[in-house]
Amino acid sequence: MIETIQLSKKFKDKTVVQDVDMYLDQGESVGLLGPNGAGKSTTISMISSLLKPSSGDVKLNGESIIKNPSDIRKVLGVVPQDIALYQELTAYENLKFFGRIYRVPKDQLEDRIQHTLELVGLKDRQKDLIKTFSGGMKRRINIASALLHQPNILILDEPTVGIDPQSRNYILEMIRRLKVQNGTTILYTSHYMEEVEQLCDRVYIMDHGKVIASGSQSELLSILSNEDTISVQLSKMSPPLAKEVLALEPVRQVEEDGDTLKIISKKSSNIISDLVRLADQHQVKIINFQMVNPSLEDVFLHLTGRTLRD
Amino acid sequence: MIPVFLAQLAKERRHPVILIVLIAASVAGTVIFTGGTQAPTEIAIFSEGTQSEAIEEKWETLLNHNSELQFVVSNPEDARESVQQGQADLAIRLTETDYTVITSSTMPDVAVAEQHVRSVFEQEAVIESALAQSVQPELLRTEIESAIGDPVMQMNVSSLGGDELSGYDMKTQLIFAFTLLTAMFMIGFRVNNILKDKVYGLWDRMILSPVTKTGMYTAYITYAFFIGFVQILIVMLIFRYFMNVELGDRFDLLLIVLAIFTFSMVSVATLLTGLVKKPELFYAIYPSVIPMIPIISGAYMVPGTITNPVLLFIGDLFPVSHAMDALLDIVMYNATLQDVTQPIMMMILIGVISMGIGVNLVERRSV
Ligand SMILES: Nc1ncnc2c1ncn2[C@@H]1O[C@H](COP(=O)(O)OP(=O)(O)O)[C@@H](O)[C@H]1O
Ligand SMILES: [Mg+2]
Repeated sequence: MIETIQLSKKFKDKTVVQDVDMYLDQGESVGLLGPNGAGKSTTISMISSLLKPSSGDVKLNGESIIKNPSDIRKVLGVVPQDIALYQELTAYENLKFFGRIYRVPKDQLEDRIQHTLELVGLKDRQKDLIKTFSGGMKRRINIASALLHQPNILILDEPTVGIDPQSRNYILEMIRRLKVQNGTTILYTSHYMEEVEQLCDRVYIMDHGKVIASGSQSELLSILSNEDTISVQLSKMSPPLAKEVLALEPVRQVEEDGDTLKIISKKSSNIISDLVRLADQHQVKIINFQMVNPSLEDVFLHLTGRTLRD
Repeated sequence: MIPVFLAQLAKERRHPVILIVLIAASVAGTVIFTGGTQAPTEIAIFSEGTQSEAIEEKWETLLNHNSELQFVVSNPEDARESVQQGQADLAIRLTETDYTVITSSTMPDVAVAEQHVRSVFEQEAVIESALAQSVQPELLRTEIESAIGDPVMQMNVSSLGGDELSGYDMKTQLIFAFTLLTAMFMIGFRVNNILKDKVYGLWDRMILSPVTKTGMYTAYITYAFFIGFVQILIVMLIFRYFMNVELGDRFDLLLIVLAIFTFSMVSVATLLTGLVKKPELFYAIYPSVIPMIPIISGAYMVPGTITNPVLLFIGDLFPVSHAMDALLDIVMYNATLQDVTQPIMMMILIGVISMGIGVNLVERRSV
């Protein structure tokens, strides 16, 4: 339904998005995963026709949207990364405003507003000013504002950043319901891999403006099928130890997380004895040792040598 | 477009503080400049004693002759009381050949009135002493009076530029200058909402909706015009109906000029918005630049005070100087629409040009 072809964006001399090829099919939910500054927001601004690409194209049903953006705008709901609401108005007034600019028919507007407020769980707060809302509540109204015209495709840019876990679960649940009940196509941007794992059928992983991996979760995880992920809990973290572990022949990546070392090494290579020896040398005790199922986080670590949160 | 306009209006209704403060400032400024709600032109005169009626009658005619001030005979207790209670700035107690000013105020209008009264008394004293020595007093009085009416040499209080100075004119001028200034603030703040909403991402959301860009600009700009004019209108209605400020006989023409000024100022504010990247920067610059414009334009000063051609030129680039010209002509000299065509055309010209450049700049500033 939507596809991007060699999509690129330069700001001055800085290439922020480079040769991104993506597609979205009807009814799918697709994740765009990447650390801050990866170019996710820039990519979706180009997809939603807000930003002109420096090169490449975005197509909706085979037609380029760049010359004629009105087609894609009709079917699109975009939830921006930052709260874009009138803080001085009530939740109800904001929704009414968005309903009106999207030309929701007058006789349906009230119903839609109430229905949408119910969906985001803020019906009883509709008369309150947005500026009195918590971060999570603002985020929910921010999403609600993009739903009034019942878009076919919903693009959400990091809709759960900086909010409490309860609001976060509420939002994730809500998006899942939209997909299942309304068949809405979803493009979900995040730097939390757990969310993408929970929500998305397919994932694009972005870093430094490029898509570095893509596919269904199992496809992505199979990138790691030649590798083991080992988690080693130490009595205390020792950076020199980590350095030496990384220097071991079968080890690909090492990440320090508190007093735990996360090691990605070649499959079935026996590094345990080496680990014990090195720990001894650095006078560190190994408290716990386990093989873990890899996550998308590990895929990212494998591909870039960094974590998503770096 | 209409929903965008209505959203601006809804914000104003939820948060009318700025509008109220600016209206209050205009009214407060006027109270300060005019020294109260009393119509400034009426001054009570009275005399006490046996001859009082004759004295009052004589001086009433003389004082009211050739004066913008209006001297009204009243009873002594009332006159004293209203000065004491601050309802009037001054009253004048008359005797056969002298007078006393009763006042508790140092407002400029007291000095203006006193000056007039003194000159009338001095002139009368000269005439009477001449008459006392004359054989044909009646003829002499006529001669003296015609000589005074057509003097060989005349002394006038005048401004640096040579125009006649009148306390009354100055007050009207200050009232309008202040009203326009507060309106300029309001207009600027509302035009700046374009930048603000761009930063907050609301602008992008509107772009994605079926509203056209032209519609969006139209909505913001019409709203700034609307609220600016509503503010001016409210202030003018308060002046006219609650404060008895003298606004001349052509209230309709006054409002037309004010509406054109509002349009022109909205355009200039759009241009300034286009020159500034960030809304915070606008809030920092605009309030410090705007009060200077009426100063440069000489709106607070007697006409002709500013003679520096550079300042005059800069002042002329802003609509406020042209608006002041037109407004004062209408109020003080009963000018007609034809008489104020030139300042009106200037304002429209400034408006059209600034709007064209301004909207383009604002648009280009966005990514
Ligand atoms: N308008 C812009 N001008 C210059 N650089 C920009 C602009 N917008 C984004 N960038 C840069 O592009 C990079 C990617 O930004 P963004 O797309 O917001 O990343 P993400 O959404 O993945 O965090 C960042 O380094 C950011 O600083
Ligand atoms: Mg982003």
